[in-house]
Amino acid sequence: MVFTSFEFLGFFIVFFFLYWFVFNVNVKIQNLFILVSSCVFYAFWDWRFLLLLVGSSIINFFLGIFLYKSSNDFHRRLLTYFGLLQGLGLLFFFKYYNFFVESFKELFASFGIQFNVHTINIILPLGISYYTFRTISYILEIDKNKITPTRDWVIFFNYVAFFPTLLSGPIDKPATFIPQLEKKRSFEYNEGVNALRQILWGFFKKIVIADNCARFTNEIFDNFHNYHGSTLLLGLYLFAIQLYCDFSGYSDMAIGFSRLMGFNVTKNFNFPFFAQNIADFWRRWHISLTSWLTEYVFTPLSIALRDYNKVGLIIAIVINLTLCGIWHGARWSYIFFGFVHGCLFIPLILNGTLNKKKLLPKGNALPTVKQLLDMFLTFTLIVLSFAVFKSNNFHEAVTYYAEMFSGLFSKNAYVETFKFLLWENLIFLVVTILIFILIEWYGKEGNFAIEKFGIKWIKQARWAFYLTLLLFIYYFAGEKQQFIYFKF
Amino acid sequence: MEKLEILDIINSIFIDVLENPEIKLTEDTHAGMIEEWDSLTHVQLVVAVEKKFKIRFTSKEIQSWKNIGEMVDSVMEKIAK
Repeated sequence: MVFTSFEFLGFFIVFFFLYWFVFNVNVKIQNLFILVSSCVFYAFWDWRFLLLLVGSSIINFFLGIFLYKSSNDFHRRLLTYFGLLQGLGLLFFFKYYNFFVESFKELFASFGIQFNVHTINIILPLGISYYTFRTISYILEIDKNKITPTRDWVIFFNYVAFFPTLLSGPIDKPATFIPQLEKKRSFEYNEGVNALRQILWGFFKKIVIADNCARFTNEIFDNFHNYHGSTLLLGLYLFAIQLYCDFSGYSDMAIGFSRLMGFNVTKNFNFPFFAQNIADFWRRWHISLTSWLTEYVFTPLSIALRDYNKVGLIIAIVINLTLCGIWHGARWSYIFFGFVHGCLFIPLILNGTLNKKKLLPKGNALPTVKQLLDMFLTFTLIVLSFAVFKSNNFHEAVTYYAEMFSGLFSKNAYVETFKFLLWENLIFLVVTILIFILIEWYGKEGNFAIEKFGIKWIKQARWAFYLTLLLFIYYFAGEKQQFIYFKF
Repeated sequence: MEKLEILDIINSIFIDVLENPEIKLTEDTHAGMIEEWDSLTHVQLVVAVEKKFKIRFTSKEIQSWKNIGEMVDSVMEKIAK
């Protein structure tokens, strides 16, 4: 039941009316209804893993209360470690066990030693990386005395398993989300309209741009030996746009559906392709994950290493970004991706520009040549690193890079790329992407690009714009693709 | 040393480190209220405060502060020892 399916839309319409018109008697009943709906939603995907989600929630609910009650430092530490072990243990077992076994096998085999542990056939429970990070955050915040645990199990379960954000985030912190579950919510018309706008924009990004890009990127990546370097480079640019529209489109929908329920969910993207250096990019991309890692990995590390000045900062950032790579899954390519991104911070740390916030021109103003150049170079750097997300393994990514760079200036390369652009109307998609980027540029001061787009126009013109988006979604929908970030 | 005196010294440290002469700290000021104060500059601020008062915070203390007031309390506690 993905957000873009008719099943989900049917589910949500029924939910919406019951939520606001039947179960709005009091906040407790409304919360219970959200919880039941979240369980139904999750069970639609795989009911077996619902037990895992419930089990993990029960453990952390009681753990939070025991931790708060305990005044003995040793007991507190023990309970916190237990919470971490439970969360990370789950992740390790489902996400990383096979990777470690295989890596150890290869390592021992290279020394001629047989390592007799077998891999197991495990399916990754959907959303586990997201809800586990929520439970860990809850325990660590209580340990740091930043929040008090909730005594209402319905509220806690809703924090862990809130269905709009359950499968792919954004990952909310307990301090911002739990209070919203505790107070009475009311439906605001303007907020509802704005939420629908955000959902519409999310649909457009996912169905029109990401799913159409997928057709071409699948073709290029599946048959990359048959294409010249310049077409492979085009494939990477298209994939970066696809990944962004897929994941930020999902996030827009998740935030939009939450807003229709009266919740403010944390922002996940802030126009990352307008970033002017790598640090700026990571402040704008998958914000809820990076702020989670900043809070619980980078900050303690950089505090512990503060006596080593710049070297300490470099170590903290490289470890943080490498872990960010590993979060995506058990593959060497993700580890490499995170490590490389960490290393890209080094020049900024060494020349002291890391703290300098990069500003973008206000309103409708165009960027300066320097800003444009910085944006293009940063975007290209990011684009080049994304091959690891699309390739099936590290070796394939390396081969892709090798063929791309060696074939960039080969004979007829650009003629072939031009012909590829004419294939199956790719050129039409490229023009749509360029218009999309322009809309994103003019809407970059909002929470999402079309939040204020056309707000000063006459009503008919604004509605014509929304209708155009709907027609695009209906007539130019790409072949349905699973959301990329579901597998993480 | 008085609480206000410490707050003044910390204010000047913030102005230096964050290169923003307009910063005016109160006990309720927290990271969300000053644009330049993020996870990266936070450590630089802590190091500067430690150097100025010749004290050393534990990692847990640093991470438990919710606002400037709690940072000032930690400084007072340390220099009183």
